[in-house]
Amino acid sequence: MILEEPITGVPLVKNYINGEWVESKGEIRDVVNPATCQTIAKVPISTKEEIDAAVEAAKAAFPDWRRTTPLARSRCLFRLKELTEEHFEEVSRIQTQEHGKTIDESRGETRRGIENVEVACGIPTLMMGYNLEDIATGIDEYVIRQPLGVFGIIAPFNFPWMIPLWSAPYAVATGNCIVIKPSSEVPLSQMRLAELVEEAGFPPGVWNVVNGGRTVVDGMLDHPDIRGIAFVGSTPTARDVIYKRCGETGKRVIAQGGAKNFMVVMPDCDVRATIPAMMTSFFGNTGQRCLSGANLVIVGEDDGFYNSFIDAVVDVASKIIIGYGLDESVQMGPLRDKEKKAKVVRYIESGIEEGAKLRLDGRKFKVTGGYPDTCFLGPTIFENVTPDMKIGSEEIFGPVMSIMRVKDLDEAIELANANPFGNGNAIFTSSGKNAREFQYRVTSGNVGINVGIVAPIAFFPFSGMKDSFFGILHTQGQEAIRFFTESKVVIQRWF
Amino acid sequence: MKLQTASSVISFAKSLETESAKFYEGLAQRYAQGKDVFLSFAKENNRNVAEIERAYYGVITDAIEGCFAFNIEPEAYAVETTLAKAASYSDALGRAIKLEEKIGKFYSDAAEQSKSLMADVPRAFMLIAKKRNNRIAKLRSL
Repeated sequence: MILEEPITGVPLVKNYINGEWVESKGEIRDVVNPATCQTIAKVPISTKEEIDAAVEAAKAAFPDWRRTTPLARSRCLFRLKELTEEHFEEVSRIQTQEHGKTIDESRGETRRGIENVEVACGIPTLMMGYNLEDIATGIDEYVIRQPLGVFGIIAPFNFPWMIPLWSAPYAVATGNCIVIKPSSEVPLSQMRLAELVEEAGFPPGVWNVVNGGRTVVDGMLDHPDIRGIAFVGSTPTARDVIYKRCGETGKRVIAQGGAKNFMVVMPDCDVRATIPAMMTSFFGNTGQRCLSGANLVIVGEDDGFYNSFIDAVVDVASKIIIGYGLDESVQMGPLRDKEKKAKVVRYIESGIEEGAKLRLDGRKFKVTGGYPDTCFLGPTIFENVTPDMKIGSEEIFGPVMSIMRVKDLDEAIELANANPFGNGNAIFTSSGKNAREFQYRVTSGNVGINVGIVAPIAFFPFSGMKDSFFGILHTQGQEAIRFFTESKVVIQRWF
Repeated sequence: MKLQTASSVISFAKSLETESAKFYEGLAQRYAQGKDVFLSFAKENNRNVAEIERAYYGVITDAIEGCFAFNIEPEAYAVETTLAKAASYSDALGRAIKLEEKIGKFYSDAAEQSKSLMADVPRAFMLIAKKRNNRIAKLRSL
């Protein structure tokens, strides 16, 4: 069944500043559905004046908002939660239309986003401090958590709805005001979210959205009234731009970068359950996520296991249904745009040039439903990949599986740890001992045990290590509460 | 075409529930002796849809295998919901039992395939499969 598209016509996306929908004076670009190649909206690349206006509005709203009780703030979030549930299907389809992912993937993204709103609804307890009576006779000491002011949230293209929600609900729940910059490639679900925020009754200026590109990012980084930035994107930008400049300007920072995740398969794994997990990990979201499997590491010298496992992986991958994500039968959508597809194709070519064995060529594929093949690519599988090859070491951000073989678990862990990234490595095994050893030693912020996409639920931090994360505290849950608040220690004595 | 994604399986399950609800509503109009049971089945079907949706929309996240959890051949579970004008009460009950057997099998198979991949969804499917099995006993007793 093909589901109806929620976006019709070609709407012009506006900025949401101080509770008003404002048309930008910046350059206007097309938002293109990568599956149909149709222009579905126009998005502005906002100016410095516009980001300044949003920060000014957020700053002006802050004093009142921080004095709004946590209970009253949580009621706004409860209303937002209800509204997002009510519009669950609509916002999911918007994501598919603007990004290209399958409807199951979009609904998954919607759910995870709402989950963060739900968690932030508990702010009256989450934000509590702690105390100790009689630190010395007659003297008590306690900690209170206070908001800082204005935060900037900079989002990538791959999860247009969910990623801003890793931070935004916690920021506003703790009494801060925010300015979100969605990816200009996929601004529509954030626009719909801002409409729901408005309907939920957040005061003007608390939640602002400014569309655009580098000018908006620079405007946030340079603005003295922005106290911190939550960013998700590539490692070079996270490390060399966001983290560095936040350091220079004294801002708090969460900078989540890229990844090269290792899926380690032990011969004692449950093959039946592991194969679908591999498909989701490597080819889900068309490989465009920082938790995607990139290198499949088969452990052991048992050729029989290796051959049967890889044959099964190749067989299932070769039958993946590719097409427009609003077709419910589709298992993999397009890449976000043709430039991203071209980049992945270059990686495939480099794999061939560097001597890897091409088992499944994603450049040959069939698109269900007769859509233009402009942004589509099939799953690609390479064998005999080594860590010095580009496809074995760099982030591809596409549906490419690089298979490596190692003799034992030690070698697998060393291989994973030698890679500069450390986001979401996983082991597939029925041995608790192996699983524990892997968990203990592997240097990645998220670790999967028989789980191929190690996406933490909203109560837990979305972690990351090495070149995958720059900062200290993470998005989601308690760590987000700490990121968006300052601890104030009070020592009191009464005469 | 095989149903492999959670979305397509949920839609298929909903269509089975809707079709079989209509079937039972039709039986209730034609056969007064089983009216209460048939209507209760039709009503339960609506609750089943709600349970399936609650399970699916409640657990679907970016971490689970929504696009690769099933391998359902819909033709194998197609149900016949039309009944000849001259069909007796006994014929109707026989048709209903066959329908329940097929739908029950669909839920059991779907639960088995997605076991450990789709969190609460297989559990919801198993509960509905159990309800469908109980219906068979009830239909046989009529």
